[in-house]
Amino acid sequence: MIDDIRVGALIAYCSIKRGNKKTLMFIVFVLSLIFMNLVFLPSMIGGMTVLFTGMMQDYPYGDIVIEPSGDNTYINNADNVLQKVRAVEGVRAATKRLDVGASIEHKQKVVGVSITGLLPTEEYEVSRYPYIISEGDFIGELSRDEIIIGAMIAGTGFGSEIYDNLGEVRPGSLVDVTYSNGVKRTYKVKGIMEGTFELVDLNAIVHYKEIEEVYGLEGSKATSVVVRVDKQGSEDQVQDKIREAGVNEQIFTWADKSETLIKQAMQSMGAINIMSKFVSLIVGAALVLIIIYINVLNRKKEIGILKAVGITPGSIVLSYAFLSMFYVSLGIFAGLVLYFSLMFYFQANPVVFYETMEIRPQIDPVLLIESIVTMLTLSVIAGILPAWSVSKESILKAIWSR
Amino acid sequence: MITVKNLKRYYGTGETAVKALRGVSFEIKKGEFVAIMGASGSGKTTLLRILALLDDATDGEYTIRGLQVSSLPEAERSYYRLTQVGYVFQDYALINEMSAAENVYILSMMEGKSRKESYKTALEALDKVGLKEKHNRIPDELSGGEKQRVAIARAIAKKPDILFADEPCANLDTRNSKQVLDVFKELNEKYGQTIIMVTHEPWHTEYVDRVITLEDGSLVSDEQKRR
Ligand SMILES: Nc1ncnc2c1ncn2[C@@H]1O[C@H](COP(=O)(O)OP(=O)(O)O)[C@@H](O)[C@H]1O
Ligand SMILES: [Mg+2]
Repeated sequence: MIDDIRVGALIAYCSIKRGNKKTLMFIVFVLSLIFMNLVFLPSMIGGMTVLFTGMMQDYPYGDIVIEPSGDNTYINNADNVLQKVRAVEGVRAATKRLDVGASIEHKQKVVGVSITGLLPTEEYEVSRYPYIISEGDFIGELSRDEIIIGAMIAGTGFGSEIYDNLGEVRPGSLVDVTYSNGVKRTYKVKGIMEGTFELVDLNAIVHYKEIEEVYGLEGSKATSVVVRVDKQGSEDQVQDKIREAGVNEQIFTWADKSETLIKQAMQSMGAINIMSKFVSLIVGAALVLIIIYINVLNRKKEIGILKAVGITPGSIVLSYAFLSMFYVSLGIFAGLVLYFSLMFYFQANPVVFYETMEIRPQIDPVLLIESIVTMLTLSVIAGILPAWSVSKESILKAIWSR
Repeated sequence: MITVKNLKRYYGTGETAVKALRGVSFEIKKGEFVAIMGASGSGKTTLLRILALLDDATDGEYTIRGLQVSSLPEAERSYYRLTQVGYVFQDYALINEMSAAENVYILSMMEGKSRKESYKTALEALDKVGLKEKHNRIPDELSGGEKQRVAIARAIAKKPDILFADEPCANLDTRNSKQVLDVFKELNEKYGQTIIMVTHEPWHTEYVDRVITLEDGSLVSDEQKRR
């Protein structure tokens, strides 16, 4: 066995050292593309995930979100919760919100929306809502008969052609809102918000006090308390501290939240990802196999000679395993160089979706290692199979027949 | 040393079978240099492959030093082939990506010798064929005669019982052919190497002790040249 390995290594070494360099370069080039194919799309999808989780943080959930425990619709005494939360070390800002269902009507057009009641001045510290007003202005502390409408339902924003919308709603337009409890209100549109994100642009915003009044709520009720932390990454510790501070509601970090949400949103994406990975692997395996197989066929006579002069089939098979491992290692190396160059390019020049959504691919070390191991395993199999089948042929056939 | 009795080799079966050997018998003693002659298609290659254990006879007996090799199991035949049989091919059959030394050296490594020892053995063998100086060249950098001498070095490095050569000069001009034949002669005279060589060039017989002639699969003459 040791002799087989030594001799196999010698054969592989000689054939690399004195073999055709152009062929070697071509093989390595093809293999590097196979490797790229394996890791590139997942990195782009990873970038999209990061983008979407960022949206989750910037709009509905903050870094940490506190929601009613059990079957309760509301957090009772949200001000008390806020007081405890704000006292926790590492918390930068927090605010309460009331989310309700409603329908909005404008010139006979009706769309169902979710309306968030919030405290406008506190949101500047907590979310990006105040900063994404594309037309008009954000609501203020005194805005009680005013509403902010998402661009997709307003009928002006990107994607509004996909969804039901109100036609041409502009700042100053009047809209009629019917809340889920049947109460009707008329509001003047103060501004249009455009986050290029369905969870934002299909919603509307009014003042917290409006919702309180419409639903007859007392004692600072809230459907959620949204918290931002000082330092990204400290969410888990702050979550624990909030719990220790005596908040008995459900406390989620954005990661907890987006896990379920992103999972849903990404499911179709994930399926594409898995399919593309699978196809890449099959194509990659087939290519490696074909390359090695052609190589082996070209050397059928040589294999026969080696056997005829007494080299064991084991060493011959091993030499091809070494050879294809060498090709694939070089291919992976070249693929990594290519991959990182592309990554750096796209980090600097992100792909833009929806005009404003910048997707920067994410480098996932686990995925890289997975792909490297897969390719190497494949290369051994692809090297051994054809060599093994040829080395089993009779010597006479291998040398003297074609 | 070698005894062949009524050796037959048919390709295919029944009516259409090609009878390449129709029952050949002879003996070869240790240290002989034998030429097998005959027209093209007379069965020379077929005979040599059987003698070198690269192929099986259809019928007949074949013994080397009293050992009935024709009935050995394949694993033992293959071991015998590795350690005791040297075979020189018509078209050299060198590995193009290996230097002269490596082409020889790989076999010693296969036998489990150390790198150093293998290298020494290879250089010794190359020295015997007069190519020690060119041990670093690859086959493409050698003339036909030199290539064939490397192939001979590879075949004799393991010090085989018998060295077989199938038309070793068929692809060589006269000058190169002479070089190769001189090497065979020297191996035979200096080291007592038993050699069985197939050829169809009459002037090659000047180098050998004995000429066996085949015709249409049968032995038609067995002529002692000298000694
Ligand atoms: N693999 C084979 N299959 C069928 N017939 C063969 C095969 N090899 C050789 N022969 C036939 O056997 C006969 C002897 O061939 P061979 O031993 O090669 O002759 P030589 O080497 O003397 O030219 C020829 O008629 C040849 O056609
Ligand atoms: Mg022949």
